[in-house]
Amino acid sequence: MLEQLLIFTRGGLILWTYKELGNALRGSPIDTLIRSCLLEERSGAASYNYDAPGASYTLKWTFHNELGLVFVAVYQRILHLLYVDDLLSMVKQEFSDIYDPKRTSYDDFDDIFQQLKKEAEARAEEMKKSKQVGKPVNNQLGRKQGQVQNGIADGGNKKKSGGESGNDGRDGDKFRGRPLENGNLNNNHVGKGEVPAAVNANGKENGISNTGAFDVNKLQKLRSKGGKKTETVVNKVSKPEPKKKITKKNRVWDDSPPESKLDFTDPVSENGEQNISVVAADQGESMMDKEEIISSDSESEEEDTGKDNKTDKQKKGWFSSMFQSIAGKSNLEKSDLEPALKALKDRLMTKNVAEEIAEKLCESVAASLEGKRLASFTRISSTVQAAMEDALVRILTPRRSIDILRDVHSAKEQGKPYVVVFVGVNGVGKSTNLAKVAYWLLQHNVNVMMAACDTFRSGAVEQLRTHARRLQIPIFEKGYEKDPAIVAKEAIQEASRNGSDVVLVDTAGRMQDNEPLMRALSKLIYVNNPDLVLFVGEALVGNDAVDQLSKFNQKLGDLSPSPNPRLIDGILLTKFDTIDDKVGAALSMVYISGAPVMFVGCGQSYTDLKKLNVKSIVKTLLK
Amino acid sequence: MDKVKVEELKIQLQQLLNEAQEFFRKIPPPQLYAAIGVVLFTVLLFLIIRLFKRRSSNTILLTGLSGSGKTVLFYQLRDGSSHQGTVTSMEPNEGTFVLHSETSKKGKMKPVHIVDVPGHSRLRAKLDKFLSQAAGIVFVVDAVEFLPNVRAASEYLYDILTKASVVKKKIPLLILCNKVDKVTAHTKDFIRRQLEKEIDKLRASRTSLSSADITNEYSLGVPGEAFAFSQCQNKVTVAEASGLTNDISQLEQFIREYVKA
Repeated sequence: MLEQLLIFTRGGLILWTYKELGNALRGSPIDTLIRSCLLEERSGAASYNYDAPGASYTLKWTFHNELGLVFVAVYQRILHLLYVDDLLSMVKQEFSDIYDPKRTSYDDFDDIFQQLKKEAEARAEEMKKSKQVGKPVNNQLGRKQGQVQNGIADGGNKKKSGGESGNDGRDGDKFRGRPLENGNLNNNHVGKGEVPAAVNANGKENGISNTGAFDVNKLQKLRSKGGKKTETVVNKVSKPEPKKKITKKNRVWDDSPPESKLDFTDPVSENGEQNISVVAADQGESMMDKEEIISSDSESEEEDTGKDNKTDKQKKGWFSSMFQSIAGKSNLEKSDLEPALKALKDRLMTKNVAEEIAEKLCESVAASLEGKRLASFTRISSTVQAAMEDALVRILTPRRSIDILRDVHSAKEQGKPYVVVFVGVNGVGKSTNLAKVAYWLLQHNVNVMMAACDTFRSGAVEQLRTHARRLQIPIFEKGYEKDPAIVAKEAIQEASRNGSDVVLVDTAGRMQDNEPLMRALSKLIYVNNPDLVLFVGEALVGNDAVDQLSKFNQKLGDLSPSPNPRLIDGILLTKFDTIDDKVGAALSMVYISGAPVMFVGCGQSYTDLKKLNVKSIVKTLLK
Repeated sequence: MDKVKVEELKIQLQQLLNEAQEFFRKIPPPQLYAAIGVVLFTVLLFLIIRLFKRRSSNTILLTGLSGSGKTVLFYQLRDGSSHQGTVTSMEPNEGTFVLHSETSKKGKMKPVHIVDVPGHSRLRAKLDKFLSQAAGIVFVVDAVEFLPNVRAASEYLYDILTKASVVKKKIPLLILCNKVDKVTAHTKDFIRRQLEKEIDKLRASRTSLSSADITNEYSLGVPGEAFAFSQCQNKVTVAEASGLTNDISQLEQFIREYVKA
C-alpha cells in the first residue's frame, strides 16, 4: 500500500498530504530524502531507499519546476507498486491546475486524489495482465473473467471495463504483431468512449460512500477532467510512435550505437512516467547498447550527433531564436536542454571530471530545470550554466565541519588523543602530506606524534623518521613485518602516556582491489576507531577517482567486523599544483563519497597545504 | 603613419570643439541655464532616492540550522498559522507582507520583507545574497535539541558574525530560542552562555589555513578576554519564541524595532 503522499513547495511548506492513510511514518523519510538525495544533486535517480528502525521505505518523487512544487510518494520497500510513477505524474498534472501560490490548504484535492489513485491502480492491474498476455491462454482466460464479472456487476466499474477494453486492444495488437503498444492502444480505446461512463460510475461510488450527498457540479468537473486526461494520454501516446520507427530505420542505416542511445532516453522523457513499466520491460536490448557505448570510443560519435543538433538549430534561423530569447520561452523541455547539457558535460569532462559523475550531474540539473520558464533575454545555455554553478557550489560546500583544530581541542578536553588515519592508493603522497599536516598542527601549538604503520613498503618507516627528525616531533615505530593495527594501537597508547594531542597514522598504500590489504586496513580502523579517516587522493586522477573512492568506502564497509563501520570522513587532495585547470578530480571525489575536501596539497615544502577554495574551483570548472 | 593619424584626429577634434562653441553661442543663456538646471535636478533626485532607499531597508533574515523552525516562524509571521507542517526547505522563502498580528490594527502598517534562508549547510551560500540588504538577522536555535547541535550552531553563528557586511553595517542580530513550549527546552540564558563559550573556542581555532580562505575577515571580540556577545560591534540580543504555538511576540518586537511601522 501507499504509505504517504505529500505535496510541498521547494520552500518547505507542506501543501497537501494524503490524510486517509493516517498511519504516521517511522522516522523522517521525507527530510532524509531532501537532505541526502535531492540536495546532493542525486535527484536524477529514480527512487530512494530509506531505512529506519522498524521500517524500510522506498520514496519516489517528481518535480514541478515552474511552480516550484515537489511531489513525494512513500511506500513499503517490500511492495513493488507499479502505479506509483503513474500516480505521481497524474497528481502533478491535476494539482498544478488548481495550484495557486497564495493558497495554502487544498482540502478539495482529496476527492480528485481518490479518483486518480483508483485510475492508477486500475492501470497497473492492466499492465500486469498485459504482461501475461504473451501467452494466449492467459489472455482468453482473462477476457472470460472480465466478461463474467461484467455480467455479474451491472454496468461495471472502471477497473473491469478497462480490463476488458485492454483485452480488446490486445486482440487488435495481435493482428498487427506489435506487442509494445498494448497499453497505449488500450488507453486510446478508453479515451474514445468509455471513460466518461467509467468515471461516472466511480463518481457515483464516491457519492454513495459520502452518505449519498454528492455534488452534481463536482461530478461534471471530475468527468471533464477525466476526459481531458485521457485525451492528453492519447496525445502523448501518439508522439513516440513515429519516433520509434525512425530509430529502427536509423539503426539499420548507419549502425551507430549513440543513435540508439539517444532514443533510449527519448521515449522515456516524452512519455513521461505514463507507461514507464511497459518501456522498462521492453528495453533490455538498448540497455545492452548503452553499456557498449560507454566502453567503446564514444567521443567521436558523440561529436557527430552534436553537429547534427547544431545544423538543426541553424535551420531554424536566427530570427526565430532571437524572438524566442526576447519573448522568453514558455516551458523548457528536455529536448531544449539537451544540447546545452551535452556541451556542459563535455566541458566538465575536459576538466577531468569523471564521466559518470558528469553524466549524473547533468541529469540532475536537467531534472531541476525541466518545465521551468525561461526568463526573457536569457539563453538556454546560460540558464543551464547558472543551474550547474548552483549545483556545483552545493556539492563542494562541506556538509560537516572541516575545522580539525576545533575537533582536536575538544578531544583534548576529553583527555584523549585525536587520531587521524591516512589511507589511499600507492604513491599518491600519503607520507609527504602527513608531514605537512603535522607541520601545520605544530604551528598551532598542538603536540603531534607520528605512527609509522606502513610496515609493508621498504623504506617507508625511514622516510617518516626523516620527516619526524626535521620537524622535531616524536615518532612511534615498530619496524617492518608487524601487524599495522597493533602498531597503531600501541602508538595511541603511547600518545596518551606522553601527552600528545594528535596521532597521525601513516598506512601502506594499497590498490582498492587488493582484498587482503583492504581487510587489514578495515581491521586497523575497526581496532583503533580513529577520529578521522582521511582519504589521500591525487588530483591527477580522472575516471579512476570514482572507482578508488567507492571501492575504498565499500571495502571498508564490507570487510569491517562491526555492524556500523567507519567510512571515509574527509579527503586530502594532493599534487594540486600539477594540474593547471583540470580540477575535476575534486568534484568527482566529493560527489562520490559525500566527504569534504579538508586539505589540498599544492607543492613540495611543508607549507604547501591549503584549504579548498570552492568559489575558484567552481569558476575553473565552468570556464 | 601613426603621427599623421594623430594629427588628423587632433584637427578633427579641434573642428568639433569649434562647432560646439558656435552652437552654445547661438543658444540664448536662459535656455542654457534651464537645461543645466534640469540635468542637475534629476541627478540629485536619483541620488536622494537611492540614499532614502538604502536607509529604509525592511529585510529581516531568518537563519539558523536545519530543523530549528525557520519556515514555521516564517508562516507564523505571514499567516498566523503553520498550516500542515513543513519539511526541509530547498529554497529560500521570501515575502513582503504586513505581519499577521498587525493586520487587524488600524492605520497603514509598513510591510516587512522577510526571507527564510534554508539551514542546510549546502545551501548556506545563498545567505550572502541577502545579507547585504538586511536590516536585521534572526538566528533561530532549537532550544530542545540544543546540546547535540551546539557546535554546528555556534559555527554557523560565528560565520555570520564575522561576515564583512554584518560587521561593517552593524546589522543587529537576534538569537531566537525556538520551541520553548516544550518541557525539556533550555533557557535562553543557558543557550547564550553555551554559545559564547563555543564561539570563544572557535575563535582560537579559526585561523585559516592560508589566505586563500577569505570567509572570516574580521576577528570577534576582544583578544585575551572571554568572548561575550556584548563585545560584538553589532547589537546581539537573545529572545524566546515558540513557532508551533504562535508565541512569537518577542520576534515581532525585534522586527518592529528595526523596521519601523
